[in-house]
Amino acid sequence: MSTIDLHKVDRIIARVGATPDAVIPILQAIQDEFHYLPPEALAHVCTVTEVHPSAVLGVSTFYDQFRHQPCGKHLIRVCHGTACHVKGAELTQEAIERALNVPDGDDTDPTGAYTIEPVACLGCCTLAPVVQIDESIYSGQTSGAVESMLRDFERRQQSAGAAAPATPAGGAQGTIKICLDSCCVANGCDKTHAALAAATSRYRLPVIVERVGCVSMCHRTPMVKVVTPGGETVVYDSVTAELARSLVDRHFTPTGLWQRLRRGASNLLDVFAGEAKPPIERREVDARDPGVCGFMGRQRHVVTEHLGRIDPLDYEAYIQHDGMRALNRCLDGELTGDEVIHTVVASGLRGRGGGGFPVGRKWQIVRDAPSSTKYVVCNGDEGDPGAFMDRVLLESFPYRVIEGVCIAAFAVGAAEAVFYIRAEYPKAVTSIRHAIDQVARCGLLDRMPTPNGEPFTLTVRQGAGAFVCGEETALIASLEGKRGMPRRRPPYPSERGLDGQPTLVNNVETLANLPWLLRNGCQAFKAIGTPCSPGTKVFSLAGKVKRGGLIEVPTGITVRQVVDEVGGGVGEGRTFKAVQIGGPSGGCLPASLADTPIDFDALQHAGAIMGSGGLVVLDDTDCMVDLARYFLSFTQDQSCGKCTFCRVGTRRMLDILDRICAGEGRRGDLEVLEQLSQQVMHGSLCGLGATAPNPVLSTLRYFRDEYEAHLEGRCPAGRCKALIDYRINDNCIGCTICAQNCPADAIALTPYQPHVIDEAKCTRCDVCRGVCPHDAVDVVSFK
Amino acid sequence: MLRITIDNQPLEVPEGTTVLQAAQRLGLEIPSLCHREGCEAENACQVCVVRVDGNPRFVPSCSTVVRDGMAVESESETVRAARRTAIELLLSDHAGDCAAPCKSVCPAHMDIPKMSDQIRRRDFRGALETVKADIPLPAVLGRVCPAPCEAGCRRKPHDAPVSICLLKRFVADVDLEREPDQQFTPPTGESTGKRVAVIGSGPTGLSAAYYLRQRGHGCVVYDDHAEPGGALRYAVPEDVLERDILDGEVDVIRRMGVVFEMNKALGRDITLDGLCAEFDAVVLAFGKVDALDALGLTVQTGAKGVLVHRTTWQTDRPSVFAAGGAVRMAKLAVRSVNEGKVVAASVDQYLGGREVVGVPGEFSVNMGRLDEDELAELMYGKSLSQRTTPAGGLGRGFNLDEAVDESARCMQCSCTCGGDCRMRRYAGQYECEPDRFRGTRRKFKRVYRPGQVVYEPGKCIACGLCVQITRRAGEPLGVSFVGRGFDVEVGVPFGRTIDSGLGKAAAECVAACPTGALYFDQPDDPKRLVPLRVSANTKRTSA
Repeated sequence: MSTIDLHKVDRIIARVGATPDAVIPILQAIQDEFHYLPPEALAHVCTVTEVHPSAVLGVSTFYDQFRHQPCGKHLIRVCHGTACHVKGAELTQEAIERALNVPDGDDTDPTGAYTIEPVACLGCCTLAPVVQIDESIYSGQTSGAVESMLRDFERRQQSAGAAAPATPAGGAQGTIKICLDSCCVANGCDKTHAALAAATSRYRLPVIVERVGCVSMCHRTPMVKVVTPGGETVVYDSVTAELARSLVDRHFTPTGLWQRLRRGASNLLDVFAGEAKPPIERREVDARDPGVCGFMGRQRHVVTEHLGRIDPLDYEAYIQHDGMRALNRCLDGELTGDEVIHTVVASGLRGRGGGGFPVGRKWQIVRDAPSSTKYVVCNGDEGDPGAFMDRVLLESFPYRVIEGVCIAAFAVGAAEAVFYIRAEYPKAVTSIRHAIDQVARCGLLDRMPTPNGEPFTLTVRQGAGAFVCGEETALIASLEGKRGMPRRRPPYPSERGLDGQPTLVNNVETLANLPWLLRNGCQAFKAIGTPCSPGTKVFSLAGKVKRGGLIEVPTGITVRQVVDEVGGGVGEGRTFKAVQIGGPSGGCLPASLADTPIDFDALQHAGAIMGSGGLVVLDDTDCMVDLARYFLSFTQDQSCGKCTFCRVGTRRMLDILDRICAGEGRRGDLEVLEQLSQQVMHGSLCGLGATAPNPVLSTLRYFRDEYEAHLEGRCPAGRCKALIDYRINDNCIGCTICAQNCPADAIALTPYQPHVIDEAKCTRCDVCRGVCPHDAVDVVSFK
Repeated sequence: MLRITIDNQPLEVPEGTTVLQAAQRLGLEIPSLCHREGCEAENACQVCVVRVDGNPRFVPSCSTVVRDGMAVESESETVRAARRTAIELLLSDHAGDCAAPCKSVCPAHMDIPKMSDQIRRRDFRGALETVKADIPLPAVLGRVCPAPCEAGCRRKPHDAPVSICLLKRFVADVDLEREPDQQFTPPTGESTGKRVAVIGSGPTGLSAAYYLRQRGHGCVVYDDHAEPGGALRYAVPEDVLERDILDGEVDVIRRMGVVFEMNKALGRDITLDGLCAEFDAVVLAFGKVDALDALGLTVQTGAKGVLVHRTTWQTDRPSVFAAGGAVRMAKLAVRSVNEGKVVAASVDQYLGGREVVGVPGEFSVNMGRLDEDELAELMYGKSLSQRTTPAGGLGRGFNLDEAVDESARCMQCSCTCGGDCRMRRYAGQYECEPDRFRGTRRKFKRVYRPGQVVYEPGKCIACGLCVQITRRAGEPLGVSFVGRGFDVEVGVPFGRTIDSGLGKAAAECVAACPTGALYFDQPDDPKRLVPLRVSANTKRTSA
């Protein structure tokens, strides 16, 4: 019995296509429609398209995105990225499951309202731990905070439909700018934006409330920039929705007498009702603020040029800020393809996706390849947990990325370029699609020369949730509608890639370097950073640092400068322990090596890698064994399953690490782990397996004592649940907050008496420590 | 022609040759599981890795095409360790027993599932040959053996173990009831001209003589008693072991040309030195003696008995071997019988001028305890009958119908690869430890319909060959990898059967499968089948 409307499937196929390579978009569209993949729909696809049944089976079970079971009304996605992990994402997920009474081993609550799904990384690392419910992202969701998050979501459901910002009819008095990127929205920018819009429209103020791109200082969002009627610019940080009216009142006055009277009366009423507006003055950011100077002082904006100043979707604004000048020089015949490549080679630009391969050399190979059909692929499958640079670039700088892609296509002689963007980045997809439409409408693409005179096309393809697709051969397999399995190189994609044709695969950040580079020349580029890795690198600075955010720094800057000067160091009372650079392919550098300059070669030498740019700062409460286990659990879960060393080897490494973290380590485990790591590193077919052991090897190298402590039953950082206990210390005044919040009833309600935790009942969920206002809960580990 | 070196050995090969093929030209076997001539390289198993030009990375030799001047490293310690790890990783996730546990547990490693199957098909003579390949005295042991094999039987947790010992006794008894010239007497092989003296005619000595004669060596058994049999005759009560049974099985050995010199005591009538002068080799199998010194042995001895090499049973005097109670306290006759078999192999190696290694143990994985679901997989299609008790009482053994009924209870749990498993062979060659990385194991599953392709996903190593072969053959349904990473397995679209997925390409897929994950069920000739109640209560669709 078919319970679904197959006409819907037919319409999807008519829209998306019926060729074998369309299988992933078809499945994505079916899932958008039905929220899962109904078997009847899949059978129908096999009947009416060229897609083979085995392809549907293989593809639909390879990618994380696809569900074969119906899911609850709302989808809760708990981020397990690195930054979220070190801030307790596992405890957060457990707390949500508890709050919703999700049965063990299930992912949906008994009422069918919510399905909970762990995700590798939502790319909002500075706001960790992060949870997404449907379209709403919530930041700072520690285990004690989830109840209020769920209440907030329920409330929002009931009062859907916020005020849309109105554009003033007459001349504008001024502008209010606010970033609406994914991560800012997670911190409440959308609420502030709506409140600002409401406040301005209430008294018909002639003020434009404008969206701008990333402001980079995630730790201070929502950030609002006001351009006053007098042309002065004032910046505010942490502008919650409640502060919106105060902010508007401070700078703008209603034009008509009636509106002014209305506002005066309303403010008076608020005073009587005891709802005085909170003072906005305190949130004003002085440009000489040491926090701002420190954060910005070391940065150099090449890729993130004009950061936070222009509306990312406004093509005119991009053009006014030197946009498309570099590409126009190519299209106007001022530069030939060879000259472009010559400049790129001379600049020494290296790929920013992780490997650091010389970009110019790759371009030359593709240009020289004997074929009239060539492709450019912009790799936006940023899957590393703890990294979100590419997402921000795509969301906030879409035109710059497009310009870079077009320059690359021009240089290598490609008539088609594809953006491959990770499924978890819907806003980035919207942003790029919008930008492509604008660029096409303005006729820019028509001016692109192509080998056979065919029209130049830019297409967007969405990934479907597979980290391995960041590897170029797997990415190409995915574009061809296959399981994202890497293949052995050579041949490299630059010789034989998409559909067997020469294909240039470059990462988003790499391509976003091109406009600046061509405008300013290779000498100016080489003047930035170190000789062997010239230019800048964008990092997502997150973890236990005071000032997290998206940063762009010249290479050669030391780890210490990034952590202390840009990031403001670790929290009060904590000590800086290590940085994790390069995500699951990278390693941990201890504080003692913090003077290592950040460039490709120096980092590799120290056992980390530049990677795609995740930089997570760790303090003394972070367990290095747990961190290695965390990365291994990620890579082994993301292994495509093709070669033995990666498929089984990483799992066996994880088994050993699980054992060690559970206090069940055995003598000889570390030696087996080390040997297996070496063999997995040297024996895996692709980069995923070959780099998967790095987090293990680097922590074994610098933090072996912590591993040995675990073998003795101790977790020095107090993280590994099996090796720790919670204790109440003398600070306890008997306020009962911990007892009231304990989900396991492990603390008796004893007012004015020091509380005691029943170790047998305690599940180590960390709620008591989070809610205690007196710092009276300690974590101890001794056996 | 391109000049390359493999482990510093130079050779010339034509362009387009892979490293794997080049190595074959040197007579070097690089192990490989996912490689198949005529198929595209899968690069999955990574068992065939080599290193090239000093690069520390391991690359699959099956898909590495030689370049002029290439220096290949194949048999170095590092490369062999990587291959060994690759195999051990695959074994760590392998859901299957190479050998049925009963066979592994049996001290004589008798092929019990084969015997059961032969009895079920009423091939009693064949069954006896199977038994006697490992146990020369099955009628005797069928009465005295405590049957450790039955404790290992996979059927035990389901209801009760197969009555293995009585089955063995049944085929032996059937044979002994025949006229002597009709009884199974193994061929003795071409005479080698060598002569071996065996001292002691207990289970060890009889067994040694039995296997030595089959290898063509002349054999004289000395014993200080009047009748052969040792402890079997003089320590086992007659109501347990009827003497005519013992005599019958000794007579078979006698008919093979073994000479019995009775009433000859070592140290009194004969000496070791004297025998050594007369014979090419001597086997000391005199059982337990109280005064070892009185025997006048001119080999090293310890407190418990003669000192021998642990696996070859050779003494410090190369031509003298010892086994059974002469070496250590012997409690199980079946173990003594096995030692006689091993010592015979060692003596044969010694007499043939070969390296003396005894009988090297065969590599085997064992999946340990099974859960209920896994047991149900093994029970599918098997007889549901309870363990048979002989109608005439335990002392009488099975009658024919009882034996056939009971034999059908055997779950045939050994790997049905039929011994043709490349992974097992390489695991033996590389001395793999199957438990080195043992972690969570997949569940044992067996997906099939009788008479069709049998698929055991737990033995699949995800080599990808069947996926490739069905795709190339244009199968309308085909098979595909399902899932990702560690949990990946081969499945059929729409939950259809494995047969419909493999279609016409089934035979090639079965031939290509490097382990016992895919094979054909061997259907019985319906006319010879015994009607039975069989189990069909488990689901029978592909994954």
